Amino acid sequence: MSDADLDATDPRTLPGFFDALADGELLGGVCADCGQVLLPPRPACYACGSRAVDVEPQSHDGEIYTYTAVHTPPPAFAADAPYTVAVVALADGGRLLGRVAADYADVAIGDPVELTVREPTAAEREVALDYETDWPVHVFEPR
Amino acid sequence: MPEPVIASVGASPLGRTDLPGRDLFSVALAEAFDGLPDPADLVEAVYVGNQSESYEHQIMYGTLLAEWAGLRHVPAERVEGCAAAGALALRHAVKDVRNGEHEAVLACGVEKMTSAGTSGATDALSAAFDRAIEQRSGITAPSQYALLAQRYLHETDATERDLAEIAVKNHANAAHNPRAQFPKEIDVATVLDSDPIAPPLKLFDCAPVGDGAAAVLVTTEELAADLDRPQVRVAGSGASANNIAVAERDMTDIAGARIAAETAYEEAGIDATDVDFAEVHDAFTVCEALLAEAVGFAPSGMGYQSYREPAERADGWTDVQLSPSGGLKARGHPIGATGLLQALEAYEQLTGAAGDRAVEGAETALLLNEGGVADAVTVGHVLTTAEAP
Ligand SMILES: [Zn+2]
Repeated sequence: MSDADLDATDPRTLPGFFDALADGELLGGVCADCGQVLLPPRPACYACGSRAVDVEPQSHDGEIYTYTAVHTPPPAFAADAPYTVAVVALADGGRLLGRVAADYADVAIGDPVELTVREPTAAEREVALDYETDWPVHVFEPR
Repeated sequence: MPEPVIASVGASPLGRTDLPGRDLFSVALAEAFDGLPDPADLVEAVYVGNQSESYEHQIMYGTLLAEWAGLRHVPAERVEGCAAAGALALRHAVKDVRNGEHEAVLACGVEKMTSAGTSGATDALSAAFDRAIEQRSGITAPSQYALLAQRYLHETDATERDLAEIAVKNHANAAHNPRAQFPKEIDVATVLDSDPIAPPLKLFDCAPVGDGAAAVLVTTEELAADLDRPQVRVAGSGASANNIAVAERDMTDIAGARIAAETAYEEAGIDATDVDFAEVHDAFTVCEALLAEAVGFAPSGMGYQSYREPAERADGWTDVQLSPSGGLKARGHPIGATGLLQALEAYEQLTGAAGDRAVEGAETALLLNEGGVADAVTVGHVLTTAEAP
């Protein structure tokens, strides 16, 4: 294994992944052996066990794979409820969970969406751990 | 190799109680050791299934409960795997007996979920999900399972009404279970008209928040016979982890559950058609449908028929009965204790102590306990009567 020098600038760590996301770039791990897309990137492929994981920019376009609305939120998100959450199948093959900027009634499986990135709100910073404070938040916008 | 058996079981009341976790455990332990030598004279090791320190600001549950049982200087540890912690504790006890390390091991579980209200439980349970993406998106346990349910309804002929019927069936079973948190029948309209929690799931699709503890004594066959206890064989045990993030898994083919069950079947030398009843992890109604398919009871896309009598189900279904206890939905789901409550139900069923909820002629049971959302971790056990081949 050659990851002994893994540090917070490496997109296979969360700080590295969120730094890139803050710049508007969604990075995925792509397994060199089986092609599996890993979101966020990580040192090993869950599909085949390989540690030959390349990091590549991922398309922001995708489709709603499944979705719901949260009516009973955790205390940190109480002010937002109900809010829509979905798993989105991205055009480059990965799947990612996130908020959808649309009412539940206006969403359906298969709907096209685009990943956007924003800074965390004051309320989100309030409940963030120290090292998460500046991590951006991704939101899927209907297209 | 020694053959591990369950020699005794006990549980506390389930639901909203005035007892903290350690006291719930004392009640469960007292039932399990009624008529037996004291724990100090029998138990050689302790495993405690416990989800979260959020409820009581207490870790070190292995040490604490060993002490409260009157044990000192035994190996004791808390086992963590969200709602699968109980079955993980059982699995550790079974392995210790099977490999000859101990003759008697206490597997127990406890959760004091009502300490901080529904929002406290919501928050504590959300810790089971990936922090970086899932938690920061505001996901909850019901909304995670709603994502599975939405996809399942999209891919199959199942309807929200079918999911409601699963809740109705489990409440009907619980009506015959004196241990159940909700021992009462409900109708389909009650489910369909209940408050939206995370569509398509409604309040009555969801297992309740509640307190509870359970204790299961695992011993060698010989020791159980010396103690003159009815015994149930633990013939197979399997466990499997899958991705932490639900987005990266197959959301309608619950692979971890399939692997855990098949491992347990193989150890026991059986297949799915041999299972007379199963206690499955119906934290939400859709789970029962998905798990019935994953473990080989139902053809793909047909698991939602679990509420029907065997003759009314699609071709390819086995005649298994699901969750005679009432399941997590109606028996109750005190997270860390749930896997052991499943074992308790199977013990009572297989030793003729299940009263009027007995599954006639039952010899073989599958227990399926999950933690995180769906198969983030799954534990399967096959239990059989002492007489089974
Ligand atoms: Zn791979």
